[in-house]
Amino acid sequence: MKRHVRELSVLGALVVLLVGLAIFAPAFYQPQPLLSLLTREAPALVVACGMACVIITRQIDISVGSVFSVCSVCAGLLAARGWPLPLVLPAAIAVGALLGSINGLLVAGLGLPSIVVTLATMVALRQGLNLIRQGEFVNLPEAVQWFGLSQTAGQLVLVGAALAVLVALSFALRHLAAGRVIYAVGSDAEASRLAGLRPQLATFLVFVFVGTLTGLAAMMNLVQSPQIQPLGGAGLELKVIAAVVVGGVAISGGRGNLWGASAGLLLLACISPALTHLRVEAYWEKAIQGTIIILAVAAEGLRGRRGGTRP
Amino acid sequence: MIAGPANTTRGRRDWKAFLLSHEMLLLYALVGMWLFFYFAGTTTNRRGIVVGFGTLDRQFDILRHSCEIGLLALALTPVILTAGIDLSVGSLLGLCAILFGHLWQVAGLPVPVAVVLTLALGAVAGGLNAALITGLRLPPLIVTLGTYSLFRGLAEAITRGSVTYTDFPAGFLFVGQERWLGLPTQAWIFFLVALGVGLLVHRTTYGRSFRAIGFSLEGARYAGIPVARRLALVYILAGLIAAIAAIIYTARLGQAKADAGTGYELFAITAVVLGGTSIFGGKGSVVGTLLGVAAIAVLKSGLACLPVVMRMNAAEEMSGLLTGALLLLALTAGVAPKILSNLRSSSPSSSSTP
Repeated sequence: MKRHVRELSVLGALVVLLVGLAIFAPAFYQPQPLLSLLTREAPALVVACGMACVIITRQIDISVGSVFSVCSVCAGLLAARGWPLPLVLPAAIAVGALLGSINGLLVAGLGLPSIVVTLATMVALRQGLNLIRQGEFVNLPEAVQWFGLSQTAGQLVLVGAALAVLVALSFALRHLAAGRVIYAVGSDAEASRLAGLRPQLATFLVFVFVGTLTGLAAMMNLVQSPQIQPLGGAGLELKVIAAVVVGGVAISGGRGNLWGASAGLLLLACISPALTHLRVEAYWEKAIQGTIIILAVAAEGLRGRRGGTRP
Repeated sequence: MIAGPANTTRGRRDWKAFLLSHEMLLLYALVGMWLFFYFAGTTTNRRGIVVGFGTLDRQFDILRHSCEIGLLALALTPVILTAGIDLSVGSLLGLCAILFGHLWQVAGLPVPVAVVLTLALGAVAGGLNAALITGLRLPPLIVTLGTYSLFRGLAEAITRGSVTYTDFPAGFLFVGQERWLGLPTQAWIFFLVALGVGLLVHRTTYGRSFRAIGFSLEGARYAGIPVARRLALVYILAGLIAAIAAIIYTARLGQAKADAGTGYELFAITAVVLGGTSIFGGKGSVVGTLLGVAAIAVLKSGLACLPVVMRMNAAEEMSGLLTGALLLLALTAGVAPKILSNLRSSSPSSSSTP
């Protein structure tokens, strides 16, 4: 119980927000808009799961937004050429994994700081995509929409898929050896090496993994819209990092779990519809999100008061 | 002192180390890049007038456009020296620009008063970062990620996402659009701030303590350095310089919008790291930062003058791509000696090292 104070407090904040909405704006709970909200956030949830793994390993990946854009455009172009979805999906995932492995090689292989490496790949990928596409949209064939199902069915599939990823990963992090390695490396890379683990390999694989999940997320986004924006993933990285951190994953590595991260994501995602329903001007969204992030980490600081955890 | 042969060899080695230092390598690259663009990007148009990279106007343009990102990079240099980071400077630039426009246009204050109040706001916003980072001992990355959203969000809330402040007086626009003593006016401010930060970092005990903190926070504390106060100074200074950049930005464009400076923090961090300051703290120089800023600016402007890039209409994208590549190259070059020596020491039995 005490170990999960952070996760529980985020969950508590989310519950307070949801209960408040139930009292003051019951209109928030119409099934269709609610399902749409969840569907919209499903890709971000998948990326947030990957990001949580990266941050638990004591690294960070700010290139996910650009990787997301590249995967989206690649998958969109293939789909527009008439490739069937079962082939587009592995292609998108492969592109994501490839880009993730570049980050992984630079960080784990050369020992470069991940924040700068992924900053560089973020800029390079985004501008490279701009250079090739010149801001052009990709129009998708109608058959791709919601996998060719009805909208509600498609939305349910997407939310279900995101939940499946969350549950599976959460289990893996807690109970499988691979998951424990991530915590071990994030807690103390040198100690994990002495214990016979291979921190460099683990770090590399985590970056490949977040790329893979980003490719999957791009695919989940692809089926939702008739067009692919050239820079659809811009800003995704900060949104996801904020969600993960609000959810109690320690930036200093080795601590946190996916349930907290997804609660954090939902909390931040509910702000905008909550503002609409409570008739507050939507322009306040970012300011409120920023305040939530600061409050969340400040709570951590007041509670922990452990020195020397500056990354 | 005795001037023996040992001293001269060490002197020679010092010279060699200096000529191969990160800053000098960056300088060679910068000069090479500049010469390349000078010869490849300068043309004569039909009326026989020289156009493109080689003109004085273009050089002033480069200077003018690099002032704001340059200021943010200067703000970030001490921060990164202490092994911290400040992602909020770009958002703070936006918030300060909005506040300045609001104070002048809506509140009707005279420009100098509005400028002073804006600078004060920048320092206060930096103080918020400082209080969270030093008071609660929170990681700077996360604190400034939060204020990154907060400052931009406040700017959007004040303007309701749509209001743009314009019609500033000519005397104010002089700062951003005219020349004074032969150079773009804002360049003088930039040089002044650069000189100030340079002196602070390299010629005072404060600068030494920044490095000490970046090198080892606990070590600095045991050495008697008031770590919290020094860190607070660094972040407040960053806020203040971001506010100066906001004033210059507003004066250059003649308008203040909520999206002012979006993404500038990344270019500023890129410039600092390109300039050889270690993201892990403890190592770096202001001269390096200035060279990093210049490299990014020359690359961007030079590419825009190359005929082949002009035909593709892709200067912005090419420069972003190359900046990213340059950053990775600089990083790899920085660790290459370490990796090579690691390879040598860890595998002494291996037949040869390439």
